[in-house]
Amino acid sequence: MELLFLPLLPYLAWLLWTALRHPIPLSYNWRSLWQRKVGTLSTAGAIAVVVAIFVVVLSLAQGISSAFVSSGRADQVVVLRPNARVELNSSLERDRARILKSSPLVAWDSLGPLASAECLTVKLLELADGSGSTNVLFRGLEPAGVRMRSQVRLVEGRWFRPNLPELVLPLKMKDRFRDIALGRTFTFNGLNWTVVGLFDAGSSAFDSEVWTDVETLMHAHRRISYNAMLVRLQAPEKIPVFVKAIEDDKRLKLEGKPEAAYFAQQTEAGKPIQILGQMITVILTVGAIFAAMNTMFAAVASRTPEIGTLRALGFRRVEILASFQWEALMLCALGGVAGAAMALSFNGIRTGTTNFETFSDVGFAFTVTPALMLEGFGFSLLMGVLGGFPPAWRASRIPVTDAMKGG
Amino acid sequence: MNGEAIIRCEGIAKSYFRDSLEIPVLQGLDLEIPRGGYFALMGPSGSGKTTLLNLIAGIDRPTGGSLEVCGYRLNDLDDDELAGWRAIHVGFIFQNYNLVPVLNAFENVELPLLLQPLSRAQRRARVLEALALVNLEDRMWNFPRQLSGGQEQRVAIARAIVSDPRILVADEPTGALDAKNAEEVMALLERLNQDLGKTILLVTHDPKAAHHARVQIHLEKGVLDRTVEVNR
Amino acid sequence: MKYLHLVLRSLFRSRRRTLLTVAFLAVSVFLVATLQSILATLDGFANNPNAANRVAVRHKVSLTNLIPMRYQDWIRQQPEVEATMAIQWFGGIYQDPRNFFANFAAEPEPIVRIFREEIVEYTESEFKDFLRDRNGCIVGKSLADKFGWKVGDVVTLQGTIFPMNPRLTVRGTWKSKRQADEQVLYFHFKLLEEGVPRIAGRVGSFWVRAKNADDVPRLIERIDRHFSDALEPTQSETENAFQLNFLKMMGNIAAIIHSITGAVLAALLVVTANTMAMAIRERTTEVAVFRAMGFTSLQVLGILMAEGILLSLMGGVGGIALAWLGAGAIQQGIGSVIPWLADFAIPTETLLFCLHASMGLGLLSTLVPAWRAVRRPIIEGLRAL
Repeated sequence: MELLFLPLLPYLAWLLWTALRHPIPLSYNWRSLWQRKVGTLSTAGAIAVVVAIFVVVLSLAQGISSAFVSSGRADQVVVLRPNARVELNSSLERDRARILKSSPLVAWDSLGPLASAECLTVKLLELADGSGSTNVLFRGLEPAGVRMRSQVRLVEGRWFRPNLPELVLPLKMKDRFRDIALGRTFTFNGLNWTVVGLFDAGSSAFDSEVWTDVETLMHAHRRISYNAMLVRLQAPEKIPVFVKAIEDDKRLKLEGKPEAAYFAQQTEAGKPIQILGQMITVILTVGAIFAAMNTMFAAVASRTPEIGTLRALGFRRVEILASFQWEALMLCALGGVAGAAMALSFNGIRTGTTNFETFSDVGFAFTVTPALMLEGFGFSLLMGVLGGFPPAWRASRIPVTDAMKGG
Repeated sequence: MNGEAIIRCEGIAKSYFRDSLEIPVLQGLDLEIPRGGYFALMGPSGSGKTTLLNLIAGIDRPTGGSLEVCGYRLNDLDDDELAGWRAIHVGFIFQNYNLVPVLNAFENVELPLLLQPLSRAQRRARVLEALALVNLEDRMWNFPRQLSGGQEQRVAIARAIVSDPRILVADEPTGALDAKNAEEVMALLERLNQDLGKTILLVTHDPKAAHHARVQIHLEKGVLDRTVEVNR
Repeated sequence: MKYLHLVLRSLFRSRRRTLLTVAFLAVSVFLVATLQSILATLDGFANNPNAANRVAVRHKVSLTNLIPMRYQDWIRQQPEVEATMAIQWFGGIYQDPRNFFANFAAEPEPIVRIFREEIVEYTESEFKDFLRDRNGCIVGKSLADKFGWKVGDVVTLQGTIFPMNPRLTVRGTWKSKRQADEQVLYFHFKLLEEGVPRIAGRVGSFWVRAKNADDVPRLIERIDRHFSDALEPTQSETENAFQLNFLKMMGNIAAIIHSITGAVLAALLVVTANTMAMAIRERTTEVAVFRAMGFTSLQVLGILMAEGILLSLMGGVGGIALAWLGAGAIQQGIGSVIPWLADFAIPTETLLFCLHASMGLGLLSTLVPAWRAVRRPIIEGLRAL
């Protein structure tokens, strides 16, 4: 999309130059816009709506991808069954897990090797708004697994203890799900699971997961093998060596994916929204260009005598052109700023979608970044250039004599 | 002066209000105009001549006095009744012609007839008749911008008479025309008065135009100054 | 009707302004129509009249938990049941994850019976071949055409959920009334069971066909009650409810689309009102002349309103026409990527919504400027220039 601006750059540069030389002061345009308040505000309002829709829809896609991107660490590897793509579909037998842990490439901290064999399952949890329930990912971890997710902080209660049906949930799930509080219990697989802690995962994908002890979860599901293992290596450069080693080892035959890449692949969940957002933006931008053109044509028509006077005073055609083009840009920029500001009010609102790869809910927030707002503002300028040029051109072509006559 | 009065004003007063300040324009004016009369309202700017014309034509309302035109007491009619009354009894001629630019001459003349229960063929016949009267049948498919000022005003006159009203009001009908076209328009009005018996009320600055009228009414500061019969 | 030519000509008095406004309206209505149609198409899956007899039975905890195969024996014996089928979402990839389509491992014999509203046209002998060949599969015609599969071709799916990559021989194809119903591949559940021993004796869900649609609620209730005390209770629901849950999982798409529609309509209202205000303002004198000639306020208001409504209707019709043209493109383009949209079309309700919305838009946007114009005293209008 940014490429759209490239062909316009020389034109914009020229406009800037004319403004700096200020043959016709910009305040003239500003006051003219203000004089036609109703027309200016309604057009700017329409442009603001377009820009706001653009920024808000793309902020959804942004929210999804930042949830996943902030989840992975550069020195950690997710070990999966080949072709499994996601942990949920993978399986990892206990003896293989033991071999992995004993690899000399694995990093250690004071408590032991930084490798966590994990078990995943999906369960329905009821939504807070009473509209039903949705699938939530339950992750069983080894104690090392909690230490390896450095972005996860406990904010209330305590961590789960081994071999007990205890759950620790993300605090952010409170907005969307029922019964997210210390001391609440959930019953499934014949056990009563108690919520003993709440954590904050810094808006990463873990903010959509329920954590518990891996052995308890496996026992409850009568599983004999784990799903996958997260391993921290001594240095990020060791990743290729480690991946090659587990792939070639006849006892393992496993696939290793850098954790960051593993999560990046899941940002696909935001693709449909992104495509939708771009489609909407293109269509609405075209519409807004028509609206801007209309307003500027009206401005030119009502100021014909004025233009004639300017020409009679000695201003050249190009200067008239630049002046009206600036006026269109101001009009659209006004809408752009208003639209970006409107979009900002959506920032932080949490919602969710389903990641169909893991078949579970991903919570995320509308993430209105400065870059997105700038992009939206850029679109308003594009509308100003394209919508403003034809009327400005027309204004510059008005013959002096005609202009003096008209009124 | 003979014949019954078609317009009867008794103590007509009109004031405008600007920021709660009362500006009197007409102050208790009495006037009777007989059927078939041709009257010119004259006087300096601000004397109230256009206001009087507007009141008689039923597009403005007096603030005092009684006004009877064509047998109706206009004071008693509501806005819609007044509109219906205008459609039947009054034809308007303006300084700037005020033709509808998107309609051709024929359609412009046809406009007032749309308000009456006439078939398309009946309307057409009446329009052609009116255009024949102003001698513009050959230009009836032209749009206003394709006509000269004099022609435009003649189309406007055709529009004013097409519904056969008894009264024609004309506010500076020659104000935008050159001498030759002005003379033509005035001759046309005279014919309408003499041949068709239309009562004509004319507001003008132009002494030459006023000369065509049979009676000149001079207003001064909202009261009747003098009435002059034109002798020819 | 007497005034139609007047309204039409007035509408095109400023041709450029009218065309630009109509273009803006058309583009925006196009967007609204398309978005609403997408929503309606998705909703159509949860409102499938053909599915009235079908019930989905799954594990109460979630779809990813499998239920014991033996449950089916009891369900089959219920008097309301016509047929049952064990079916498992396989989620296999053909060559590239982008070639997404639905593929299921199912018990082969009941497929045609359960989905007889969808599998409309097929060759008996081909389907017999499929029943005999444990490595065989059947596919919808348009799916087969998309990848150029012919009967006898071998299709290899790469398992994502299950660690197996079945090599399947296409044994038959079928045609449906809707394109979307042809975007499916079925293969033998037995093949999956053999390839993945850990699931032996378990399956994702049962598809149950009731003899009579009226029996469905009772059947659902009875199945769930019967298994409620089992270690693994079931959750039964109509096929439509099952699909609805899927749609809901994508998030609140309806809310997004409705808010965008609302925002776009608001922007349209503002812009159209501005255009009409401009159009009416420059005719202040004309309005006064009309009224002097004897037109009542209401008549003039009517003429002005007709103009505004006609303007926005032109935009609305233009937008619907664009959407109609675009619908074809969406079917071919996005429809092949997102199989749900294979039957994308603009439903009558959406069409009517857009027409009504644009009419309402014209009405609302013209009302204020037109009302102000006819309330203005005639003599003021005549003075204005």
